[in-house]
Amino acid sequence: MFFKPLDLTTALRPLLLPDETLLFVQDAVGLYEGKYKIPDYQNGHAYLTSHRVCYVSAEESRKYCVGIDLKEVDRAEYQAGFFRSSPKITIYPKPQKTKLDTRTNIGATVSTTAHADQLSVQQSSIRPAFTGDQPAASPKPINATWVCPICSFSNPVPSNFDPATVTGNTPLPPCLACGIKPPLATVLKAAINAASTRESPLPTAEPPETGRVSVPDKNGVSSLSTAVKKVPCPRCTFMNHPSLVECEICGASLGASAAFPQLHGTSRTDSPAPFFAQSRIVNSEVTDSIKLSFRNGGDKTFHDRLKGALVQRKWLLQNAPPVPAPSQRTDSPNNPGAAAVEGPQSPAPRSTLVGIAGLEQRGLETRINNQLVIGNAFEDLEALMASAKQIVALAESLARESGMNSNGGASTETTTVLSESVAALGMVTTKDMLSSGSESLYLSELSRDLAEYLTDDRKGILQREGGIMSLIDLWAVFNRSRNGVELISPSDFQRAAELWEKLKLPIRLRRFKSGLLVVQRYDWSDEKTIRQFQDWMEELRRVPPDESVPWDWSLFGRAITAQEAAQRFKWSVGVAAEELEMAEDRGILCREEGIEGLRFWSNHLVS
Amino acid sequence: MSASTAATAAPASSTSFVFPSTYNFPAFFTPQPNSTTRQSQLRKWSSLIQSWCRHHRIYRLSIIEAIDSPLFHNATLRKRLDLAEARTIVDWMAKKEEEGGGGQRAEWIEGPSASSGAKSKNLAWIWWRRPEEWADVLVDWIDATGQRGVVLTVFELVQGEATVSQEFHGMDHDVMMKALNVLVKRGKASVFGNEGEEGVKIF
Repeated sequence: MFFKPLDLTTALRPLLLPDETLLFVQDAVGLYEGKYKIPDYQNGHAYLTSHRVCYVSAEESRKYCVGIDLKEVDRAEYQAGFFRSSPKITIYPKPQKTKLDTRTNIGATVSTTAHADQLSVQQSSIRPAFTGDQPAASPKPINATWVCPICSFSNPVPSNFDPATVTGNTPLPPCLACGIKPPLATVLKAAINAASTRESPLPTAEPPETGRVSVPDKNGVSSLSTAVKKVPCPRCTFMNHPSLVECEICGASLGASAAFPQLHGTSRTDSPAPFFAQSRIVNSEVTDSIKLSFRNGGDKTFHDRLKGALVQRKWLLQNAPPVPAPSQRTDSPNNPGAAAVEGPQSPAPRSTLVGIAGLEQRGLETRINNQLVIGNAFEDLEALMASAKQIVALAESLARESGMNSNGGASTETTTVLSESVAALGMVTTKDMLSSGSESLYLSELSRDLAEYLTDDRKGILQREGGIMSLIDLWAVFNRSRNGVELISPSDFQRAAELWEKLKLPIRLRRFKSGLLVVQRYDWSDEKTIRQFQDWMEELRRVPPDESVPWDWSLFGRAITAQEAAQRFKWSVGVAAEELEMAEDRGILCREEGIEGLRFWSNHLVS
Repeated sequence: MSASTAATAAPASSTSFVFPSTYNFPAFFTPQPNSTTRQSQLRKWSSLIQSWCRHHRIYRLSIIEAIDSPLFHNATLRKRLDLAEARTIVDWMAKKEEEGGGGQRAEWIEGPSASSGAKSKNLAWIWWRRPEEWADVLVDWIDATGQRGVVLTVFELVQGEATVSQEFHGMDHDVMMKALNVLVKRGKASVFGNEGEEGVKIF
């Protein structure tokens, strides 16, 4: 299992992969590797998604953030809080693809501590060969034998003989029976032959090794209790001492079975050096386990949903192609909403019906769509595989609707369904995802939601509004995008907006003199607005006005109204009026009140 | 525009008054909320009023009458200063500079109707030259013509042929008396004679 670097969104949250959904968020979480705290990862947010567990530190989020793919997670254990110890969730990595299960080797290390030093010296020469991803690649030549062309005695191929790297200069041991050196070709052929047969099941070579590994797997405790484990020789079956590399009797190599586990054990678990190296944990390997320490609650829910995510294995669907859409489109041309139910990424226009009628129509569309999906999927096996993704999703929702949920009442199911539909609409955090009672977390997540929503280039909310919009407008637009579910109260909204500055998000809330609250990009400043005004005024002085004017337009230009400014900069009129007054306040503009209303001039009164 | 720089424009009384460029700026007629802009606006109005009065040899300005004159009414822009705003400007002019005003370039005159009690604020002295400045001008002229210690009548000073070329020629009698009183206070002149036929001796 590896810590993977994370991409963060503008709101400093993990960037979700396509199809990945956020399941839970919890703040005030610390990260442990094994038993040790990882420095700089002690106060942050833990995000549980359908694919990953992500950790984002509260301070310097971009520097300290990591993720772990759930597909590499074996299991998660819950550990309740005790006195000053916070509740923790321990995540165990899956055993490596290789046969060497690190967990079984810890026992072996314990039992053979007396020989550990000697072993590490012996194996130091082989070690580089096993640091790669596949430690199993090297044992190949172990059980190979070459037949002496003189006396036809079966000699073992030396353990350090590697067909890939061997050259003509490589020293070869003489035949054990007649003492004649073999030709290189003979040994090479034998080694390659042995390697190729090993890949297919090789009964004669395998038993000792598989036996060695599988015994602790089946009943690990009992095998650990035996003080010294004998290792059977693969050729002559003599029970050798485990620290030996070659058989005492026949000289066959025992290397793979006995040595490597201890190599892993000694170099990883006990040494403090890797720990410090891993304090910069990006891309580093997790050998043992990691722990999430929940200092602010949320542990139970996190654990439940983590278990759920591990069971669902959504990541398996990542590569499944979506159901071909055209057939459905032609079948239901009157239901533009049918396509929209498929997922958030389908850009089909949503039906505009509202209220009960809208809900009923959406339900109808969903049912029609489900019918189509099921109908198409079960036509033949290929279609079923193609639409696996949707069928799984459908099965899940059907299961929920039919009340398979054991403990939950109707209300929790409803909220789940609701929050799901909200997630389908592109919103990420809902109150359901957060443990109840953590109001501040809800607000900060809402705040991040808003920031993401605003800075999302696909929607371009802020761009469309000329980089600035009033908070009330934003509230209306945002709630509308939630489609009537999980609506946000104005007070929550304002408090979330006030958190932007604290959370260092790229959006800021600004209060105009009149008290109007607006939202704008963090890097947008009054100076920039003023420069825009000045450029505009300059332009007005160059371009002659449409009608003849009594004043000297080449000197004074023309007056602008809030409406004109709103139109030009795509602001709302309220914002434009405020910006104009801001510029007036800075002495850049001056006002003219007349029967036509309030107009603003470039300030020629101050010279 | 201070009074001294305006002096160069003063003799051209026969030509029509040239308004400053800001006079054609529509926003000039709206009171500005920004204090910096406001100060600048008041200063511009003050200098406009002063140069207007100097041009037309006006010493006391009736606000009511002026409100319809080109001074406060820009016919081309169809913009005018309303009465309250005009009074605010004169108020500002009357204040001392230390108080954030226009340096006592105006002074309200208690009109004959002031018996009603309230300040009418209709008529104001516009000091495009303060009495002290007039006194200096007088002394300079006396010096230049070598008339120290010579007794002159006030009528001579204001209407006499010798002063035709001077700025104070044709000056308001009250203003002349104020200027002479300044000199008396400085101990540089003595005024004698009855009301209306005063004589003055500057030394």
